[in-house]
Amino acid sequence: MHTHSKVALLTAALLAVSSTLALAADKKVAFVPQIIGIPYFDAMKAGGEEAAAKFGLDFIYQGPVDTNPVDQMQIVQNLIDQGVNAVAVSVLDASSIAPVVEAAKAKHVTLFTSDSDAPKSGRALYVAQATDEGLGNAIIDEMVRRVGEYAKIGIVSGEATASNLNAWIGFMQARAKAKYPKLKLLEPQYAGGTAQRAAQIATDLMTANPDLKGLIGVASTTCPGVGQAIETAGKIGKVIGTGYCSPNTARAYLKSGSFGYSVLWDPKELGYLTVWAGEQLIDGKEIPATTTPEGMNHPVTYDAQTGVLLLGEPAVFTAQNVDNYKF
Amino acid sequence: MRAFLQRFCEREALLALGCIVSGLVFSIRSPYFATPDNLLTIARNSTELLLIGLGMTLLLGIGGIDVSVGSVLGLAAIGIGRLLEAGITPALAALAGPVAGLALGGVTASVVIFGRIPAIVATLGLLGVYRAGIFLALGGSWLSGLPVGLTNLLAVRFFGLPVSVLVIALAYGAVFVAVRFTPFGAHLLAIGNSEAKARLAGIGVRRTQVAAFVISGALCGLAASFYVATYGNVEMTIGATLALEAVAAVVLGGTAVTGGRISLLGTAFGVILLRLLQNGLLLAGVPSLWQPVVTGLLLLLVLGAEALSGRLPLGRLRPSALGVARRAGLR
Repeated sequence: MHTHSKVALLTAALLAVSSTLALAADKKVAFVPQIIGIPYFDAMKAGGEEAAAKFGLDFIYQGPVDTNPVDQMQIVQNLIDQGVNAVAVSVLDASSIAPVVEAAKAKHVTLFTSDSDAPKSGRALYVAQATDEGLGNAIIDEMVRRVGEYAKIGIVSGEATASNLNAWIGFMQARAKAKYPKLKLLEPQYAGGTAQRAAQIATDLMTANPDLKGLIGVASTTCPGVGQAIETAGKIGKVIGTGYCSPNTARAYLKSGSFGYSVLWDPKELGYLTVWAGEQLIDGKEIPATTTPEGMNHPVTYDAQTGVLLLGEPAVFTAQNVDNYKF
Repeated sequence: MRAFLQRFCEREALLALGCIVSGLVFSIRSPYFATPDNLLTIARNSTELLLIGLGMTLLLGIGGIDVSVGSVLGLAAIGIGRLLEAGITPALAALAGPVAGLALGGVTASVVIFGRIPAIVATLGLLGVYRAGIFLALGGSWLSGLPVGLTNLLAVRFFGLPVSVLVIALAYGAVFVAVRFTPFGAHLLAIGNSEAKARLAGIGVRRTQVAAFVISGALCGLAASFYVATYGNVEMTIGATLALEAVAAVVLGGTAVTGGRISLLGTAFGVILLRLLQNGLLLAGVPSLWQPVVTGLLLLLVLGAEALSGRLPLGRLRPSALGVARRAGLR
């Protein structure tokens, strides 16, 4: 009896090993998002699938159902144990990922980050969506293109403590100072996390500055507030609204005309680039400083020093192109 | 009775004076403050908080609290938004708000009263559950660009009054009548004074508590209808600040945090003063970072003055604690 079960076990193990070997021809790239089931990461998944089909790879998409860093690390660990060739992570907790990077190295799995980084973890590289500077510059350049340089612009941010929002505002102010000295950016106002308060502040800014030409919603939660405030005040066409928000959030306001444009990046492209980077890493290919990956229509840049692979300039969404995006 | 009336009027008069004085200061500081458009903006910004504050007044009056009101508004707003997307008549969608709020108020009441969990703890727990519910119901994306049918309803006028003014007047009027002219009011305040004594007096304590939570829930749902109509949008963080703002406005208005004393007019003035300060400070050029500091200091000032003048019924805490102990001993 015992011998029988042992034999059965051995056979099963052999079968398992041989099936892994049989599949080894297909390179496996996994991506672990911060959370599954939201449009942003769904778009990254779609991009990843597209790249996998193009380059003949196996693409695995697994992530936590809520933004729990412990669950995320467990999923990454499982993928390493399953024997994927490369795994990309949109890191939830940068301080806790280092041991998993070690575990990956021990099993000859390449671990890299995408969308959200852990710079000191020993990851192979980081696929970055856009730089803070690029985002700050783009929103100011696009605004000046629409309202001219002699204009007063209001800024509605979210939490005053959010470092990414403050960095973007800093680059907006630097861009205005360096390139458009006549542009007047008002002191940023902080609305916290709700659209309601953002709408209040946007309305008050328009009341206090009748000559206001533009309103920038820095946090994605402030976008609907800014758009709605412009509509309610009957200032469509007189005040141009914008912000860092996804096409789904901005769509209604782009179409009503209260928003002139919205600036962000395209997560589908980011997912595509992530899987492309995974293949380069598996093959041990060196990534040139500037290159246009097959299937993409613009170059990406790679900084070997910092290990940052940058998707490029931010995307600008307008009433014309917004329906091409589904996130 | 006259002294009682005087006491009641004191706080409301003080708040009205506060509104007038700060209004005057703001008009001097900004030429755009005292314009019809801006005053209308302040009134519009106050709508949701006026309704939620009304419910919170009853809850604080009965010795309870609900810190999940913003999430109840959020869940009701999602319901309204989904119905609008499905193409339902805007008037029906607007009615769905209070209905959903009523149901959620029932849930809150069951957890607090039948679960025998202190209101602050129970509603803090429910806040987490409701927030997760909002996240799941929205699926990571927001409802935005909702059909404008409901927004158009806001412009409807009855007897020359905007529908929001009418609804708020009706809500405050109905609650006022219920509190002043029916046993409900007496029961509410008696329970707020001492639950144990109220029970000994034969008051249906649970029934009154359930009523307070359900009314508050329905008012949150009603506020949700106005929210969706005004903003055409339901975001993940919807209503996150409303609970604390409501408690602040209600306490500012003279309702005792420890229960047993309420003021509906005070609540209305408290809400308007909060919104007026938010608006006026920005127009006067004060960075919005300072706005919570100003409202916080105002709250401390009013409560501090009250405690010093001996009006804050701190002594009441002891007998009710005794009552709890006694009840625990009896069971």
